[in-house]
Amino acid sequence: MTAGSVPADALSGRLGRAAVGAYSSVVLAFLLLPIAVVAPMSLSSQPFLEFPPPGWTLRWYYDLGEQPRWLIATVNSLCIAAPTMLLSVALGTLAALAVGRIGRRWARPLTLLMLAPMMLPHVIIAIGLYPTLVDLHLQDSYAAVVIGHTVIGVPLVFLTVSASFAAVPPSLELAARTLGADVWQAFRRVTFPMIRVGMASGALLAFATSFDELMLALFLTGPGTETLPRLIWDQLSFALTPTLAAVATLILALSVVLLGTATAIGAAGGRRTLRAR
Amino acid sequence: MLAPPVVFLCVFLVMPLARVMWASIGPPEAPFSVYARVVAQGFYLRSFLYTVETAFVVTLVCLATAYPLAYAVANARGWTGRLMSTAILLPLWTSVVIRSYAWLILFQRHGPVNDGLLWLHWIAEPVQILQTSVAVRIGMVHILLPFMVLPLIASMSKVDRTLLRAASVLGATPMRVFLRVYLRLTLPGVLAGCSLVFISALGFYITPALLGGARNATAAMMIEQAVSVFLDWPLASALSTILLLTTVALYLAFARLTGGELGTLVR
Repeated sequence: MTAGSVPADALSGRLGRAAVGAYSSVVLAFLLLPIAVVAPMSLSSQPFLEFPPPGWTLRWYYDLGEQPRWLIATVNSLCIAAPTMLLSVALGTLAALAVGRIGRRWARPLTLLMLAPMMLPHVIIAIGLYPTLVDLHLQDSYAAVVIGHTVIGVPLVFLTVSASFAAVPPSLELAARTLGADVWQAFRRVTFPMIRVGMASGALLAFATSFDELMLALFLTGPGTETLPRLIWDQLSFALTPTLAAVATLILALSVVLLGTATAIGAAGGRRTLRAR
Repeated sequence: MLAPPVVFLCVFLVMPLARVMWASIGPPEAPFSVYARVVAQGFYLRSFLYTVETAFVVTLVCLATAYPLAYAVANARGWTGRLMSTAILLPLWTSVVIRSYAWLILFQRHGPVNDGLLWLHWIAEPVQILQTSVAVRIGMVHILLPFMVLPLIASMSKVDRTLLRAASVLGATPMRVFLRVYLRLTLPGVLAGCSLVFISALGFYITPALLGGARNATAAMMIEQAVSVFLDWPLASALSTILLLTTVALYLAFARLTGGELGTLVR
């Protein structure tokens, strides 16, 4: 008897498989539907949101180019996301390496601390951070938002680096050290090559999170440091224009690029490990 | 090596949170007076109840929607599997603001959803979808669904299919195999997904604010409003403390339920 001929559970018979397949297509369509709506809206010739659009134009994209506010917000977002990424990678990697080699007793509470920002509502983190950053005279500076976004970026890097570091046996570093490498050399030549995929995917996640984040930005940015999500949010309460759809489409394109990069380095990493074995 | 990240999080997370809790106690002559105000005004309690109810409904809908989908992805091979994973990951990488904005377009009075329902003759005239809790729930399910699907896929792809065949050969009906073997083996994924979705749903702001409006205020919306509209920091601190303690309690409860492996919640 072949494996396929026994309907092992309620979902794996031929009928069950067809039903699951049809159902999955519907759910995946639900997941992609909103993303699919935004791009056509940005090309609509109508200033009011009408779907499907009655005609097509690139006008809203030109409009976007003529409003420096959007460009400034984009630059602000990048000026915040890039340092956030670097800081999150540095802190998250340090934490993952330390927690990975520490005894069980300390690993638990430290993991809890490192992952806590991911579980807490951002509004609470924002409420807490605001007075602290005002005390440090950082209000309306890039530093304020970078600190806020790094708080939520550290857990992402911590998770991805921990995952790849778990596969590195401690004996490798030990071997490097006995052979005369100092701590930095052992990290640079032995540990780093094995965790760099984890670091890179953590970095991408931290960047994407910072680039999209709204709540902390609402509290921690000032007129001079307004980020793209914040500007979109402010515009949303005015009017729903195709200009917004144009911005959204451009950001979606960036997300697709980021996801593609993540998949590519993930795949490259997988291939490399296979070859090493 | 541990010092920089621990110091950073202590200064910019633990201490600020402690400060929020401290501020919520209020002036020394009338401690906890803010909490008395919160309890006395039914509005805040109702809003907390609404938040918990929404999180609960969203979690259940996500679980029911995600389980068969995760099953299909975990058992798909080759390009179908890759295509499905990409379709699940793509929304995860796109901005929550933009996805909520897309729902705003879809749910317009003359938007695609109303048009579709009219075309199907399910409704006679356009219905109000925006500013209702239904809109909020659909939007939140859409945003949180990947967080349910991913842990489910992870635990489903670990299931040893020979166990299912063994149960089947030993005479169990397909339904029984599913309930007694498959469901039990994937229970860690179910718990992980539910905890992720439930806890994230409790703190939701963007989607309910955009799709539900002020009438359907969640806890996070009240906190934001307390600061930006009323400039009432003690009130915001008290509401934050309640939400914070609820979240932490749930986090620890779920962590205990899943055997304390907090990291596996996400992967």
